[in-house]
Amino acid sequence: SVLSSPPHQLSSPPTVTSEQIERLHRRFKQLSRDQLTIRKENFDSIPDLEFNPIRGKIVHAFFDKRNLRQESEGLADEINFEDFLTIMSYFRPIEMNMDEEQLDRFRKEKLKFLFHMYDSDHDGKITLQEYRNVVEELLSGNPHLEKESARSIADGAMMEAASICVGQMGPDQVYEGITFEDFLKMWQGIDIETKMHVRFLTMETIAHCY
Amino acid sequence: MFLLLPFDSLVVNLLGISITVLFTLLLVFIIVPAIFGVSFGIRKVYMKTLLKIFQWATLRIERGAKEKNHPLYKPYANGIIAKEPTSLEQEIKELRRSSSGKALDTPEFELSDIFYFCRKGIETIMDDEVTKRFSAEELESWNLLSRTNYNFQYISLRLTVLWGLGVLIRYCFLLPLRIALAFTGISLLVTGTTVLGYLPAGRCKEFLSKHVHLMCYRICVRALTAIITYHHRENRPRNGGICVANHTSPIDVIILASDGYYAMVGQIHGGLMGVIQRAMVKACPHVWFERSEVKDRHLVAKRLSEHVQDKSKLPILIFPEGTCINNTSVMMFKKGSFEIGATVYPVAIKYDPQFGDAFWNSSKYGMVTYLLRMMTSWAIVCSVWYLPPMTRQPEEDAVQFANRVKSAIARQGGLVDLLWDGGLKREKVKDTFKEEQQKLYSKMIVGNHEDRSRS
Repeated sequence: SVLSSPPHQLSSPPTVTSEQIERLHRRFKQLSRDQLTIRKENFDSIPDLEFNPIRGKIVHAFFDKRNLRQESEGLADEINFEDFLTIMSYFRPIEMNMDEEQLDRFRKEKLKFLFHMYDSDHDGKITLQEYRNVVEELLSGNPHLEKESARSIADGAMMEAASICVGQMGPDQVYEGITFEDFLKMWQGIDIETKMHVRFLTMETIAHCY
Repeated sequence: MFLLLPFDSLVVNLLGISITVLFTLLLVFIIVPAIFGVSFGIRKVYMKTLLKIFQWATLRIERGAKEKNHPLYKPYANGIIAKEPTSLEQEIKELRRSSSGKALDTPEFELSDIFYFCRKGIETIMDDEVTKRFSAEELESWNLLSRTNYNFQYISLRLTVLWGLGVLIRYCFLLPLRIALAFTGISLLVTGTTVLGYLPAGRCKEFLSKHVHLMCYRICVRALTAIITYHHRENRPRNGGICVANHTSPIDVIILASDGYYAMVGQIHGGLMGVIQRAMVKACPHVWFERSEVKDRHLVAKRLSEHVQDKSKLPILIFPEGTCINNTSVMMFKKGSFEIGATVYPVAIKYDPQFGDAFWNSSKYGMVTYLLRMMTSWAIVCSVWYLPPMTRQPEEDAVQFANRVKSAIARQGGLVDLLWDGGLKREKVKDTFKEEQQKLYSKMIVGNHEDRSRS
């Protein structure tokens, strides 16, 4: 049945209404075919998702233990409804009554989610190879694009990132990779917290007498 | 000789008289108008009466729910989340613009580009467009059919009695009547066309064949109590053209064919269908394929173009979606029929689900169950719009032409125009669609990259 209390690991007070939770629960049951947990294969039943070039990374994000706020490392095999809600909570819309500190935490949470998407080996840094992977995935499927072009685009972007984060580098310096702090720096000025959310439609009820 | 009690003979006589009277009434009020293509307007009156009753029933349910202080749930047709309408390009431009100091026309790849796809992905995981389309459209008022009622516990005694009466009428009166009519219609069609098969080809045969077909389809329309409104009949398909319509159920054929004389296209089935098909083709040249031939696209295309090029032959009736959709949207049209190069006459069919849901969910119900459901509904109400003819422009390919026709049909019928393949109900997505989205994105990035390296 539906969650009776919100997951205690959430750092901010829960803002999803019980109506919304109930609808997500119905969706969860649809995806899991009435089982209690979802595995990676269950996401295959969503045709619209095939559209998406980073489908693999998105599905992966659901099972990433860092996103699930679990202590251990690596990937979970299956997730239950509480975990599903935890992932969905990264896409909560911003609230009117949030103060500076809450907003900042809100933003960091969302950016951490994106960071984990890039950092596939979980070492806390986005290396050149990982960056290349993402670019290649996004640009794959274009028959006219050679692998070399995708690579050079990724390399160029990485250089640019390095220059933002570290400034001018000496000829012998090697840029290890983008850490989360550097990542935050690059997103400065972009209001991700206002764009990274999914809004619920209000459900219609006919007679509503409480 | 044995003695019959006077009581028995009275009963037998009464029975005989009432059956004869019923039969005569049937003949006069239903079949004769069907033969001549006129209508007494009985069905429209029936429809209006039913509507009043439904409104009353819905009000009772609402009142019942209010008394018990529970909210009623209207099933949501639009999904549970508001999907962002911005396109890929818009979104990426906005994200780049908001980051400081970067010029718009020198983008290569930005970390933020991933964001659009990420959000779209989460949106589809939360709520999927496609699987929603394949279940029957959900109603807002109750039409006294238990199959469409979700708020069953709020029904009072009066409503239950009404519903019971409805069941009685539908199953004991309407159903046998409709079955009798259907039987008449089909047997007339089979015998009529077989007889016509013996006539030599010529104007007389054509004329008779047309009227036999029309008459039998009209009887079948009455067998379903279908109340059809035709719009723009001046755009009806002509010889040498292809008539294209959206597909909700096998009844679509009967609806269109009762207003025009078409050549059908399809696969030969066994059983009763096969008998009907074989009889029909004796009177006029329909295009039937064997099961093995259907797979061969070139053969199909060849036979269709031969038919179309012969101007004396009838317009072909085709449903390009390939499967039944639940009449809230139009799915992808298969391009085969649009490659032939004939004039296309689009037709939009929209059913009003209030009287009876015509959608055939072939994965849920078989054909017989479906027909039974149809014949025990109140009525099938629909509108047919004949749209002006379209031809393929020189700079379009078949797929673009198909999409253009599809949009016109969707717009006219008030249906949502979806790019998805109706075949998705059964199979998975084709990889070409994934490519489209990726191509668009990479064009944006690579195009700009190339510009930069050139300068």
